[in-house]
Amino acid sequence: MPVIALEGVTKRFAGHTAVEGLSLEVPPGGIYGLLGRNGAGKTTTIRMILGILPADEGTVTLLGKSTNQRSLSARVGYLPEERGLYRKMRVLDHLVFLGETKGVARPQARRQSRAWLGRLGLSEWERRKIEELSKGMQQKVQFIGALLHEPELLILDEPFSGLDPISSREMRDTVVEIARQGRTVLFSTHIMEQAERMCDRIAIIAGGRKVLDGSLSDIKREFGTRYVALTFTRNASAAGRVLQDRSLAARVHDYGASAEVELASGATGDALLRALVAADVGLGRFELVEPSLQSIFEAKVGRDSAAPEEPAHA
Amino acid sequence: MRKLLAVIRREFIERVRTRAFVLSTLLGPVFISLTLFLPLYLSGRQTAPKRIVILDGTSGGLGARVDSVLRAAHYGTDESPRSKYEVEWVRTTRVEAVQDSLVRSIGLARSTETHPDGVVVLTDQALDSGTLRYLGSNVGSPTDMDALQGSLQAAVLAERLSRANLDPEVVRRASSPIRLEKSKVTAGRLTGESGEASFFLAYVMTFVLYFALLIYGIQVMSSILEEKTSRVVEVLAASLAPFQLMLGKIVGVGAVGLFQLTLWAAAAFCLTTSLGPILGLMHVSPDVAASAPVPSIRLDLLLVFLTFFVLGFFLYAGLYAAVGAMCSSYQDTQQANVPVTMGIVAGFMCMFPILNEPDGTLARVLTMVPFVAPFATPLRYSITPLPLGELLLSMLMTALGVLGVAWLSSRVYRIGILAYGKRPSLRELARWIATG
Repeated sequence: MPVIALEGVTKRFAGHTAVEGLSLEVPPGGIYGLLGRNGAGKTTTIRMILGILPADEGTVTLLGKSTNQRSLSARVGYLPEERGLYRKMRVLDHLVFLGETKGVARPQARRQSRAWLGRLGLSEWERRKIEELSKGMQQKVQFIGALLHEPELLILDEPFSGLDPISSREMRDTVVEIARQGRTVLFSTHIMEQAERMCDRIAIIAGGRKVLDGSLSDIKREFGTRYVALTFTRNASAAGRVLQDRSLAARVHDYGASAEVELASGATGDALLRALVAADVGLGRFELVEPSLQSIFEAKVGRDSAAPEEPAHA
Repeated sequence: MRKLLAVIRREFIERVRTRAFVLSTLLGPVFISLTLFLPLYLSGRQTAPKRIVILDGTSGGLGARVDSVLRAAHYGTDESPRSKYEVEWVRTTRVEAVQDSLVRSIGLARSTETHPDGVVVLTDQALDSGTLRYLGSNVGSPTDMDALQGSLQAAVLAERLSRANLDPEVVRRASSPIRLEKSKVTAGRLTGESGEASFFLAYVMTFVLYFALLIYGIQVMSSILEEKTSRVVEVLAASLAPFQLMLGKIVGVGAVGLFQLTLWAAAAFCLTTSLGPILGLMHVSPDVAASAPVPSIRLDLLLVFLTFFVLGFFLYAGLYAAVGAMCSSYQDTQQANVPVTMGIVAGFMCMFPILNEPDGTLARVLTMVPFVAPFATPLRYSITPLPLGELLLSMLMTALGVLGVAWLSSRVYRIGILAYGKRPSLRELARWIATG
């Protein structure tokens, strides 16, 4: 039984449709990535899954329950995109309160909070007020608040945005560990590299509709080895000119010293290699590869497809 | 239920811990003491008698009468009198000239101890016309002037009667002053409470309600706004239903309010019961202390007051909660809360027509209007016997009002807490309320 199932879910706000006919299934265990640009409808989808917002059409099933999902909050952890804590509360009191709202008894909430604070290096801050903490520390506190009741499903909305590299890594390690324990993690992001490294399965949404979903390896296989990874050692500007030839390269991610190229239909790797050598380009690497998630995303969503700005109600 | 309790407890504890709460709780008794003791202390301390010169240009015995009346006037009881006036009786035929020289010394430094505070001018014409003159530094004090006029009235009356050749004994008895003693009767029983005390209580109750509803209502509003702008509410909304969140907030703040009022009431009780000894320490005579308008609070009135306090709080806090939820910034709330605040002000203003005519039609109607009944009903109950039927109907109407507000507010709250940006127009608000 899937942990989360959406079927034909639509949500409209005054004047625009945030999510339209969305169907998704999140199987138990592993890390599921909900990918999309800002304003694609990720946050609205998550809010409907949690029962914070009602769906206008379709059904949302969370842990087998399709009404009053809020009553399942003891089994679900949630880290919203817009982080917020009571500034005047002490760290430990705040975590205990968040635990209580998830139905954890006070002594246990206190024990769990202390354990997590210790683990994320915040032990000596437990008596301080939230407002005395740095932004990164506040994010960690909120992260602890989302998982101290040991939920079987953890939903994280843009969990890595605005984190410094160290905090980001600590959080990533924790998320991976939770997934390894057989629990399910769903997170939304617009950073493809992050999703590529962590997710077992993904769904890409754009303009409130699903563009693509499935296991990451299946998706990559489906896209086939029509991609070439290149690094240049000399004459990169000449390479740029070669790659503009649309009979060879359908799509190019030019990073300057390196590039990822999607071969045009009918073109072969050999043809591209010959053209580059003929243009006197020095090559450090020429490899037929699976496409990066970034390439898949752009191929599916389109680099320039205008995503509406996040609306006021979303 | 456990989640709701967690929200209530957090609200209560975090509020009671703040410096603002501790400070205002401590300042309450200070304020009570000031309003209670200061007037008594001052009135008890004004023992220095006024120095009054009787400038007597009359031919008969008016000067002597005024002299004796003023000398007899005193503060306090007959057992321990303190003279009101230090009287100097000056007989002269050149009234104008002496008056001018006296006026020049009125109100000068008292250190010389010879300057007068005022001059009463007596002439035969004045006696005939009935217009006496007093020139003094204290003419702005209504209390002083009433007392002086009363004394002079008696003296003039006696002089006139005696000039009409009446028996001096008859004159004395006819012009002796009277005193009106007022006592309140409630439900056919003497309460031993003076009229002043009863009004004092009505005022205090109305003021307490007014400030409590305003202060704690606005606290509910800003607390909800804070949760919304800091985005804490999003996490909570995943665990608790919006109505639970709103209820938790209102009950939490309300509990803080009741707690604070209880502390203040306890302080007021201690202060009033030990009023005599405390005033004694301040060297205020016991008779002044006894005149303090300390009401005896009946248990039934206390219950009625508390019932309507709680009903009124839920009514207005519910409205303030909706205002907080629909706004996205503090500036927004300043405009949006005006209609709610007006309701509280209107309730407060009810005090005046009701005190005028506690059983009038207007007073009866106000008792039945949910938004003002929390003020009107306890007020009427305290000053007039209120039929049980009216009391119960008033409670019922207010309770219905509370339910209506709870329904409306929870619908606004539910959508408002996740809506950022522009404050909704009335039409959008109506749509929020209408959507299921």
